[in-house]
Amino acid sequence: MSGRFDTFGPPPAEPDPWEAATETETADEDGELDPREAASLFEQTTRQAARQFDIQPPLLMFAAAVTVLVAYGAVWLSVRDQHPYSGPSGTALAVLYGTLAVWIVLVTTVLRRALSGRSSRQRLLEGIVFGAIWICVYVFQGALHHTDPDHAIAYGVYPAVAPLIIVGAAVAGYEAAREKRAHAGFAIAVVILGALASFAGPADVWGVTGVGFCILLLIAGVAQLSRRHARA
Amino acid sequence: MTAAELDPLIHAPARLRIVATLAALPDGDALSFTRLQDMLGLTPGNLITHLRKLEDAGYLSTEKTGHGVASRTSVALTHHGRTALDAYTAALRDLLAGL
Repeated sequence: MSGRFDTFGPPPAEPDPWEAATETETADEDGELDPREAASLFEQTTRQAARQFDIQPPLLMFAAAVTVLVAYGAVWLSVRDQHPYSGPSGTALAVLYGTLAVWIVLVTTVLRRALSGRSSRQRLLEGIVFGAIWICVYVFQGALHHTDPDHAIAYGVYPAVAPLIIVGAAVAGYEAAREKRAHAGFAIAVVILGALASFAGPADVWGVTGVGFCILLLIAGVAQLSRRHARA
Repeated sequence: MTAAELDPLIHAPARLRIVATLAALPDGDALSFTRLQDMLGLTPGNLITHLRKLEDAGYLSTEKTGHGVASRTSVALTHHGRTALDAYTAALRDLLAGL
């Protein structure tokens, strides 16, 4: 290939700094470290690292609360006066999916920043497991479509609460195994909300779930902020 | 207990920051050399020398993936390193409590 075309190619990859550094530089020697300074340095570094690695920052929880309220609220407004229940309108679904799309972009941005340079074999397996659970939630909804002629379950109660109950239960078990009590407690609260909200019926389940889930996310976000301030 | 009894491999500013940063990762996660360098603001040569000291002691492991210009080195705290850090922080707490 000529140099003219090379101009449009990708920039050459930089060599691994680990390889480049070994032969060219030497380390600075560390000075004396007072125990108090060491404790302060350790706390500060741990706090900064935890913040940079955090995949669920409080801001994301607050954004999730708004997303849930807007998405579920739009569906509830379109179905609240339906007797019999016929399902959300096209506009409501457009708001639901549009809000979810914005949410996915936001989560991807946060995850990309937090997970940059990190590698984990376990995370791939976790991703596969949770991905399979999400897919099964909607495969089951497809089965309900054929067995539920009035759509009150298939497009009412089930899509509103099933993701909360099924995925929430999986998350609760996962977090309990990791001894993350606060996360497991939040997940169980979401499961309980989903189970109780299903009594509201195919229309009002959207409103009850949206408001309830929004409140839980706000509580979780405030709790995260409080823990951060307590450690600071 | 005196400061001299603290683990000298960890009780140095740069190495303490390296170990504390890697300990903030979940068990089994590794961090690329480049991101670790960005987070700590150390020069590559300085960082690599401290990493080698910790690696020689078995406190961390390195893994190289890819070949040539696409090669990347990842660093992770070992179980031994996590235990050593726990012992170091416990010793530090005892020391500060006695001051």
